[in-house]
Order: sequence, then structure tokens, then C-alpha cells
Amino acid sequence: MGRFWRKVFVIYWKDLREEFRSADHLLATLVFGTMLVFVISFALELVEIGSAQVFPAVLWVSVFFMAVLALQRSFAKEQEDGTLDALLLASGDRSVLFYAKFLSSLTMLLLLEAIVVPLLWIFIEVETAKVTFWFFLAALLLGSWGLAAAGTLLNGITAQLPGARLLFPILTFPILIPLLIGAILCTQRALAGEVAPVLGWLYLLMIFDLVFTVLPLVLFDYVLEG
Amino acid sequence: MVKDVLELRGLQKKIGLKQILKDVSFQSSTGDLVAITGVNGAGKTTLFRILAGLMPKSGGQALWNGENLELNHCRVGFIAHRPMLYGSLSVQENLAFFGQLYETGSPERVQELLELVGLWLYRLEPASVLSRGMQQRLALARALVGNPSLILYDEPFTSLDLGGRDILRQVFAEYRPRTIQLVISHELEHFQDLAYKEIRLEEGRAVQGGNGRG
Repeated sequence: MGRFWRKVFVIYWKDLREEFRSADHLLATLVFGTMLVFVISFALELVEIGSAQVFPAVLWVSVFFMAVLALQRSFAKEQEDGTLDALLLASGDRSVLFYAKFLSSLTMLLLLEAIVVPLLWIFIEVETAKVTFWFFLAALLLGSWGLAAAGTLLNGITAQLPGARLLFPILTFPILIPLLIGAILCTQRALAGEVAPVLGWLYLLMIFDLVFTVLPLVLFDYVLEG
Repeated sequence: MVKDVLELRGLQKKIGLKQILKDVSFQSSTGDLVAITGVNGAGKTTLFRILAGLMPKSGGQALWNGENLELNHCRVGFIAHRPMLYGSLSVQENLAFFGQLYETGSPERVQELLELVGLWLYRLEPASVLSRGMQQRLALARALVGNPSLILYDEPFTSLDLGGRDILRQVFAEYRPRTIQLVISHELEHFQDLAYKEIRLEEGRAVQGGNGRG
């Protein structure tokens, strides 16, 4: 098992180096996320809705679109560069690739959120008095984990198909619906400081994450079989 | 020294409605240098992808020492049409990365291979700025870094200059005692002074083309 995770780490570290060295994609995703937050916040200034009602929806719309942009590249880039075959041969295990790509995508997503979420917090002027912060962070982390895991799996499936860039968001959205509903409800209750009614949704997020993190261990051999 | 044996028995591959490989059978063992020839579309690259474990076969058997050949069954070095490199990583980082994955990439091994392919002076350059021929040399080093027991070369002479071709022929000779080497090539004169077997793919079948000395 040690060799497996060592290989995962080697690919994960390579992905991060590549991403930061040619930071154009990461920056483009960040600019897109920031613009989205700014435009929606500006539009909401014109209608009178409480910030606690608006914030979760705007947050998860932004996170979802950033995730689609960030995740779309994980396997597609390897496919375009022709390096996917070399990676498969060198790693000798297709699921190594899944976990490496999942972890690098999750890291990217969390980095983007670390910038965009505080901006959104400021733009929408959330009242911090009632917020249950640990629950808010748990919802954000579990939601991002699920987006990265399911997105990486689906990206692996679609990367080898014609029209991958179109197929990926179309296939991803319906599968992520339960995750997004759960994440939005949990975020909403975390802001209101009443988390007990949505604990079930938090468990659902955990189960979703568990399924999409463990499933590729058996499924990914078939996913990347050319 | 124990010899490895690669054996194909009636190997078939169908993609969509097209039967690419109908009945490919041949046997090779350590020390063999095999030239795979055939017209465009004969299925040479498809055969290599199956042997590398990157593509499932539709029928028949591909055996490595009597057992089914799969992705991680033996160490495969693969030079494909494309160099399969990371453009933003340096020459040295590319090789060290693949060496780490194969768990054979010590700094000394990386240096030895870069010197072999004549890229040590370019080790700090990003792979993207190298010429196509130099990328092909780096691809050769990548294919060797895992100490393979089966090396698949898909038209390796493409883009190589005279120096690069000499290096490749040197690799054929040096790695011969411990590997099985299969080479897709249309020009057999590249095998000058090297004994080789020829296998021609014709209408999805393998035809023994006899032995040669280029």
C-alpha cells in the first residue's frame, strides 16, 4: 500500500508543479470565479433579499462552475499531451491516477475557494453573529471533496470520448444534484446557526464523498481501458 | 540468465465494425530484435497498444512467460508516435518524474540516461522548447528509465538526425541481452549491422518475414 500512495504523491506533486508553473489556467479560473461572485452580488444589490438566503446559492453556483473549469483539465490535458499512456505504463495501476488527479483537483479547488469565499463574504455582507463556523467549513470541505471526487471520475470517463469538453459538464451536473442540494442546505443552516435540522444532509454529503472516493478503486480500471 | 518469453496466439482486435487484427501469432524471447512491418493501417500501433496493456484485445492470447499480459505484468518501455512528455517540466524533471514512478530514477540513473541520449547539457531546459528530434531522444530515455524487459518502439527513427539514429542503434545493441525489442519501422536499412527478425502484418495476420541483417 505504501508504494501505491508514494506513486499517488509523485503524480500529485507533478500536477501541482505543472499547474503553478503555467498558472494561466488557475488564474483564468480564479478570475472567472471572482467575476461571477462580483456580478451576482452586484445584481442582488438591486433586490431586497436577506444575505443568509442568498449567500449559499451564490457560493455553490460559483464553486460548481469553478470546479467544472478546474476539473475539466485533469485527464483531458494528459490526453491532449499524449502523456496519459506514459503515466499508465509508469504507474502500472489505473486507480493510482484517479487518486492523484482527485487530490490535485481538490487542492486547486480549495485554493480557489480560499480566495473567492472571503470575497463573497465581504460583497454579500454576511452577518457573522449567528454563524456556526465549524459546520460551514465542514459543508464547504465535504461539498468540495464530493465535487472533486465525482468530477475526477467523470472526467476520466469522458476524457477519451469525442466531445469531452461538452460531455463533461452535461454528465456531471445531474450526478452532482444531491451533493449541491445538501451543500446549499447545510451552508444556509450554518449561517443561521441552526444546524440540527440538516445533520442528515451532512451525513448524506459524507456518504456521497465516501462512495465517489472508494468506487473508483474498482471502477477505474475499466474507465481508462482504451 | 532466465529468458523472458512473449507469445501471441491468434490475437484479435476489433474496433467498432472493423477487424484490425484477425490472427496474430508469434513468439519472441529475450535477446530478440523484431522489426514489425506492414502497410499503413495494418494494425501495427494497435498491436503495440495491446502489448503495452493500454488496450484490451478482442480475442486470442497475449502471454508473458505463459501468463496473460496485462498493464503491470512486465516492465514495458514504449516509444509512441508522440513523445509523451510534460512541456512545462525540464528535461531532467521529466525523466526523474517517470523514474520515481518506476522506482528506478536515482539521480545517477537519470544522468546516465541523459548522457546516453545526448541531452545532459539541456537538462534544465523545459521539454517544450526542445526540437522534435531532441524530444524523441528524451522519449527514448523515458522508455528506458524503468529498466524494461519489453521495449516497444513505434517508428522511433522518425525525426531523429544521424546522431540520434546512431544512439538508437546503440540502445538496440546494449539492451539486447536483457530485453525483447519490437520495432515498427518501414525502413529496414536502419537496422544496419544488427541481426533482426521481421514480422509483417498483412490483412490482420502476422507473416514471418525471415531473419535479416540490415
